Parts: sequence; C-alpha cells; structure tokens
Amino acid sequence: MRNRMIRIASTLTAAAVMALSMTVLVAQAPAGKAKPQASNAQAPSGPKALPKTTTDTEAAIKAAAEAFKKEEALKTYTVPKTPWGDPDLRGVWNTATYTRLQRPQELGNKAFYTEEEAIAEYKKAAESDAEVDPRTVHYDWKEYAMDAWQGGTRPNLRTSLIVDPENGRLPPLVPEAQQRRAAAAAAARELDPMLGVKTFGNLYTRCVLGLGALPLVRGGMPGADSAATAAGVTAEAFFFQSPGYFTIVMQSNNDVRIIPTDNRPHVAPQVREWLGDSTGHWEGNTLVVETTNFNSKEPATNFLGSTDQLKIVERFTRIGPNTMRYQYTVSDPKTWTRPWSVDTTMPRVDPSLIYEFACHEQNYGLINVVTGTQIRFREGVRDLRGNGAPE
Amino acid sequence: MRIGWTSFWAFLAAIAVVSVATITSEGQAPPAGRGQAAAPQAAPARQAPAQPRPAAAAQGARTEDGKPNLNGIWQAINTANWDIEAHNAEAGPHNDIMGAWGSEPGGMGIVEGGTIPYKPEALKKKQDNFKNRMLVKVTNDPHRFDTGDPELQCFRPGVPRANYMPFPFQIFQNRDQILMVYEYKGSMRTVFMDKHQEAPVDSWMGWSNGRWEGDTLVIDVTGFNGHQWLDRAGNFFSDTAHVVERWTPKGRDHMMYEATIEDPAVYTRPWKISFPIYRRLEANAQLLEFNCVPFVEEMMYTPLGLYNPPNRSSR
Repeated sequence: MRNRMIRIASTLTAAAVMALSMTVLVAQAPAGKAKPQASNAQAPSGPKALPKTTTDTEAAIKAAAEAFKKEEALKTYTVPKTPWGDPDLRGVWNTATYTRLQRPQELGNKAFYTEEEAIAEYKKAAESDAEVDPRTVHYDWKEYAMDAWQGGTRPNLRTSLIVDPENGRLPPLVPEAQQRRAAAAAAARELDPMLGVKTFGNLYTRCVLGLGALPLVRGGMPGADSAATAAGVTAEAFFFQSPGYFTIVMQSNNDVRIIPTDNRPHVAPQVREWLGDSTGHWEGNTLVVETTNFNSKEPATNFLGSTDQLKIVERFTRIGPNTMRYQYTVSDPKTWTRPWSVDTTMPRVDPSLIYEFACHEQNYGLINVVTGTQIRFREGVRDLRGNGAPE
Repeated sequence: MRIGWTSFWAFLAAIAVVSVATITSEGQAPPAGRGQAAAPQAAPARQAPAQPRPAAAAQGARTEDGKPNLNGIWQAINTANWDIEAHNAEAGPHNDIMGAWGSEPGGMGIVEGGTIPYKPEALKKKQDNFKNRMLVKVTNDPHRFDTGDPELQCFRPGVPRANYMPFPFQIFQNRDQILMVYEYKGSMRTVFMDKHQEAPVDSWMGWSNGRWEGDTLVIDVTGFNGHQWLDRAGNFFSDTAHVVERWTPKGRDHMMYEATIEDPAVYTRPWKISFPIYRRLEANAQLLEFNCVPFVEEMMYTPLGLYNPPNRSSR
C-alpha cells in the first residue's frame, strides 16, 4: 500500500508537534508553556479527543467542494495591492493536491472533469487517504491531520497537473536519463541505498530539504510518483512580501526561498544550491520566478531525477481571495526531450502561521530507518520496499 | 573539525566586507524602480558573471508608514560566537591538523559589565558545557541535547545567538510582520508586529512579538525549548528564558543591537548584551545557502556505524 513509513518516521518527531499545533493548539486558548520535548517518545497511539471536524471526512469533502465552487464562480477579482504597490499574494497557501501529476492513460486527451466528476474524484481520493493500513502505521494518523483533505485541499477540474504536453504526461526521457535511471536501479538492487547515510538519496528523510519547496505543487495521491511527492502533511507555503522581495517559507523543514523581484541576473554558474537560485519579476499581476543553479550531488538528484541543468519557471497569480493560480514550466535537456508545464491552484489556509520545523535537530527517524535497513541486510533480506531507486 | 574553518572563512570575509563598506558606504546605487515593465523572460545577461546589481527597492530610511526601514542584509562583526564574554585568542580543538585555520580569535566580549551573573550551579553547567562542547550524542532520546554545542551539529542557533554568528542575515519588513532569515542553516523567525501572539509550542528560535518604541524595534522573545547555547564557550539559558531585543538604527547602514536576557532558573538577575550590526553594502550582496546538514552527517552518524554502508562481507 502507500509507503508513508519513511515520511512519517522522520516527520513525526518535529511535525507531529507542528501538525497538532495547527489543528489543536491554535484552535484552543493560548497553550502557554506547552512542552513538546515530552514528545521525544514515540507518537501516542489510540483515540484522543479532538474537534470533530478534524476527523470527519464527509464534512471536509463538503467544505472543500463548496469552497471550490465559490472560488470558481468568481469571474472578476481585483487583486489587492501591498502598501508599496505590488499585487498582494501574502498568506499561507496549501500545496497539497489529490490531482495527479500525470493524467491516467485511460483518460486520453480529456483534460477536464465536469464539476460533478471532479468532486467525485476528490471524494474517492480523500476517503482512500483517510484509510489506515495497520501494516504500515500503528496509529490513526488522521489524528495528526496528515491527510490532505484535512489541510484544505480542494477538488480540481483538471485531470492532471500537466497541461503541456497535451496528453498530460511527462515527455519521454532523453537516452542519458534512461541510462542514469537504469544505473541507479541496478545499483539499488546490488546494495540498498538506505544502508548508510552516505548513500541515502532521500533528502527529505535526511532533513536536508523539506517536501516540495520547488516546485510547490507536485501531484497528489493516489498515483503519486513517489511517496515524498504526495505530501498532504505540512503542505503549507508562507508567502511573505516586502519591497523588492518575495520570500517563501515552507512549513516542511522551514525551507526558505528568497526571491528578489528586480529581475536580477542569476548568481555565477559555479554557485550551486539545493533550492537553486531564484530571480523574479512582475508581469502585470503575475509574479514570474526563474530558478537555475541547482545542485546535483550524488546520490541525491533534483526534482523527478533531473540534473543540475534543471530550470523551473514559476508563475504566481492570485485569482481569488483564497485561490492562487500556480503554473510552472520545467526543462532539463539532460533529462526530458522537451519542456513540460503544469497549471494548478493553491487554496489559502488560515491561520496565516508557520511553525518551527526542527527536522535535523531530532532526526531519529533517520537513525531508525538506516539501523533497520542494516539489520535486514545482515538477515539477508533484500529489496524490502520492492524498489530500490532513490527518490 | 570542519566546523572551525567554515565559520572562520565567513568571519574573514566579514572583516573584508567591513573594510570595504567603510570606504564605499556613500557610493550606493540609486534604488531600483519597482513594478518595472515586464522584462523579457530570457534576458541574455542572465548567465553573466556577477555584475553590480541595483540596490533592493526601498532602501530609504523610512518605510511607507514612517517606520525605520530595516529591509536589507546585515551582519555583526565581532567574535561573540566563540565566547560572548571577553576572551583570548586560542588554538582550536584540532590544531594538529587545522593550524591557524581552526584557531579562535580573541575578543572584548559583548556582555555589559563583563560577566554573566550565573547562579553557582549554572556556572558549573557552563563550565561542563565548555569541556563537552564537542561531545556529540546522537540518540533516540532527549539526552542528545545534554552536551555539545548545537552549532557543531547544525542545529538552529536560537536568539540572540543568530544575530552575532559570523554569517549575514536578511530582514524583510512590512507593516504587519518582520521576517528574519539567517544564512546559517537558513534559520528563520517571524516577528509579529500586528497582534501579540503567545508561543503555541516551544522551539529553538523562540517566538517573537515586536513593537516600535519610537525608532527602536523592540522584540519580545519567549517559548524557547532550553537547548540553546549562546556561544561555543558553553554559555546557555533554559526554557524559562525571556529575551527582549532592541534594534535601533544609527544611520542608514548600521544599527545598535541590545538584548536583555532574563532567566531566573540560570541567572541571579537580568543581564544585557550589546553590539553594532552593519549593513552588507556589496552591490551583489545576497544570502547563499548554508545548508549544513550534509556537512555534519559524517561526524554524527559514523560513531553509530550508520554513515558508511556495511561491507557485503559483514552480512
């Protein structure tokens, strides 16, 4: 089933506190000196008295559908301006979605659902998201608001995030990318990369990067391209604006993207960063951000296995009080035969707060995952996960 | 052993910056126009080497609502991160291989009155901290925070330490909130200016509420988790600490910083640190990533046998 073990193991330490605080602590009176370090023990199991709305799938689906219809109905929306005159995109925006990155093959060139179909699809995904497989989790993780439907995701008329190519699918890989992928899979069959931190390709489990800072929306469950891109958990992006800058703080790992809006040139080509170098400018009410200068350090790779030639151009347009249109175009001549593009939306969520996500500070998830893999290795068990490719 | 020199380079760079800054502080480029016409998406100069950039918009002395404009990239130039009290230059912990690179500069200290008013048992803990500053415990339980400088392990630095580490930081200011992003680890904090918010949970960076007192930005920081150190010398506070910061502009390019630290569990009375903070004036000043997690993994996980994959023969 859904492999959320790794994600949960490394997230719970810090994120359970965060996620809980989003839904519970904030909803209550000020909690004062809550002592989260007590949660260094494993996450609690069993039922817990929580506000009904946090576990009521039906209510959440209804609310999501209503919010979707309400914002869809807005034909003329005038985006407010900041005091210094830029379009005002501030707030916390939800990056989780149930819409798949790639369109299911059977839908062919059907790019849009009807409204009824979209809501039905959302309902199906949310209900499946609310299921708990006792083989992978030993607690009811709905309690921790880790399902996307609890975070404010909405139905989407689109059948895939990808709008170009027309079939809603990723373009073919170039030959060198096929070879790269095959080599990584072969190496993983030989020796599980999770046997040592040195070979551990998953940057999220290592707390090097959080989930989805760039691009922000990557396609949802079910059918996500990997467990780590399917995040419903901590899927909030805080957009902060000040004169000349647009800064994004991710709830996940508190990754920060500082985007100057003066269209300045990129940093020198030898400067390489995990989140790349972003530079932006306004085109009318749309903020356009181009990011290059990505790292490519083995064994970790960039978005969807791309290289340091990755370039992402994002477009942010606020099309409703609670809806941000988010488009991006991805290119990497060393990975795909052509650029491809996504067009989606992000709902605004309240309260407009981001909490500290001290991931590396108590990353015992990583200790446990690597230790467990080494024990399996000594016991002669291989390929526990059914695949070995680093994410 | 990597720790010393990374920071030390940054420190050297900072010194260089200041000497340049004092010469060129009046040679600033005019502010860039905001909301400029849509620029072509693929300007040919994008891959050009760094060239003088237009200064960030709104580098005026005041914001549109008349407050001091603190937007910009800033850095303290002192050696408080080694020891906030006065201290000698010393050989570093691995001078057998690190030589002058790993050595520690002396400094006058930033503590008003010179000495931190520790309670006797807290002073003992400070001394133990210093002895064990490089003792790294990676465990599944809270004992991992008992010893070792959090900075050595790439943990968040807390406040006020983040403000005097040898790295730049950037202030983003609007009327409702101020965002501070520190190059070290990309740590961040939001300062709530619009309405006071109680700390919902404890944290490394604390929970910041701000207000203007005349031209001084006063920030009240609470909600610490008690794991913070103030420097590499083992100075510390507990989870009952309350820090009040005062940021006062003294001109366009520098401000005075002051923090009062109160923690009845550790000190006999509130005490104060103060030092100037300078604007980074390079035309191309920009925070770069200092994501130190990959830099500490070998140090942290090798003793547990978790860094290098086991040999096939060990199965």
